[in-house]
Amino acid sequence: MSSLKTSLYSEHVALKAKLVDFAGWEMPIQYKNLKNEVQTIRNSVGMFDVSHMGEFFIEGPDAIDCVDKLVTNDVKNSKVLKAIYSPLCREDGTIIDDLIVYKISETKVMICVNASNITKDYEWIQEHVENFNCTLKDESENYSLIAVQGPNSFDTLKSISLGFELKNIDYYSLQMEKVEDSYIYIARTGYTGEDGFEIFAPHNYIKNLWRNLLEKNVEPCGLGARDVLRLEVGYPLYGNELNDKVTPYDSGLKWTVKMQKEDFIGKETLANYSPEFTLLKLSLEKGIPRTGYLVENREGQVLGEITSGTMSVTINKGIAIARVSKKMYSPGDNIFVNIRDKKYEAKVNKKPFVNGGHK
Amino acid sequence: MAKIIEGLLYTDDHEWLAIENDIATIGITDFAQSSLGDIVFVELPEESTELESSNSFGVVESIKSVSDLYTPISGTVTEKNSTIEDTPESINEDPYSSWLIKVKISDKSQLDSLMDSKAYEQHCEQNS
Repeated sequence: MSSLKTSLYSEHVALKAKLVDFAGWEMPIQYKNLKNEVQTIRNSVGMFDVSHMGEFFIEGPDAIDCVDKLVTNDVKNSKVLKAIYSPLCREDGTIIDDLIVYKISETKVMICVNASNITKDYEWIQEHVENFNCTLKDESENYSLIAVQGPNSFDTLKSISLGFELKNIDYYSLQMEKVEDSYIYIARTGYTGEDGFEIFAPHNYIKNLWRNLLEKNVEPCGLGARDVLRLEVGYPLYGNELNDKVTPYDSGLKWTVKMQKEDFIGKETLANYSPEFTLLKLSLEKGIPRTGYLVENREGQVLGEITSGTMSVTINKGIAIARVSKKMYSPGDNIFVNIRDKKYEAKVNKKPFVNGGHK
Repeated sequence: MAKIIEGLLYTDDHEWLAIENDIATIGITDFAQSSLGDIVFVELPEESTELESSNSFGVVESIKSVSDLYTPISGTVTEKNSTIEDTPESINEDPYSSWLIKVKISDKSQLDSLMDSKAYEQHCEQNS
């Protein structure tokens, strides 16, 4: 039974969205039409309520050192007002969550975490924060979050009253503003591959913003469209491509592991780790690959399975990410997806299925 | 309100059947296509496949979902609509002319458990 509702819940009901349970939250999976929602984000501008995601703040003289120790990517050498995507790993290299660290100042960061991992992340981080001169606060209940995505995002946000001047910040950068005693964080980030902004703010501010954007005909889009969009550009999803049993090296995230850093949790293990798995981007001329379908070679030996699959709206083909055993699969091998006991040949793509237009 | 046509028979799973002598033409209803959303793939059984009542005979897929198709009757597939496999979106456009398969009915008494348009209308109201 879903019990949690975002501050925009009544908006979704009024728009007759189809609501589903997502990590205990009652969330819109789609409004009118999933296909249109995907196309709108690729071609103009749409918005998502992603208030179910968690916001943690770590503050204090050691905040940066602490977060730099916790995550595999480089927070310390990154500039202030930058966003850093990173896995959060255990000592054995397995992934607790993937998150975005927003470096607010040299003594404060905000971390945006997956809704399904809020409790797990909080407990892990709290355990480590205690060794540093800083504090951890879970502010998830006080913040709503909407993602405005698509090539017209900037112009649209510029055209409404935000209570401050929106700056033309770079991709993966942050703007911080104070409106009526509350801090508002605007990041040029998203999960669609397109240009766009994610706006973290108190509930009332977000409700007003949502209504103002609706008046500008910004299309409300559901989590169904969001999943198609992220898969088209090859972004991993925690619970599908990433989980408690795999490391960043098994999951195409080597670029987020900075071995030149002095220390981080998981460094020792990952330094000598040879990955068990690799992720492949598969496309099919016929048939639609779905999560859990088996991936086989020509001889019918199982190489692994589909972690996410869908019909791509943009390229009109079945697309998927598959996790295959590195022992069983060598680059260049023919790959087949087993769909209801029939084999469908798949093409292995080096590049994302769709090139998003983000800066 | 989903479109329902008089004179057809309906299943709990939102398939429609048109009966002519001992041949049943089977498709999915307007209610079904509208809850599925954009239909992007259809898989149907080949001609002369033997079907058994309440078993799955194929699938329809939307962008994000896979749904089984169920036959309420036993019989032999006499024809499948190959055009639909190439243009699955026509099910969204006109579900009642986009038939999927024709089946030679082996036991006509199985039709007795199906709903007429009035009963199906009530069934849809309870499901929406």
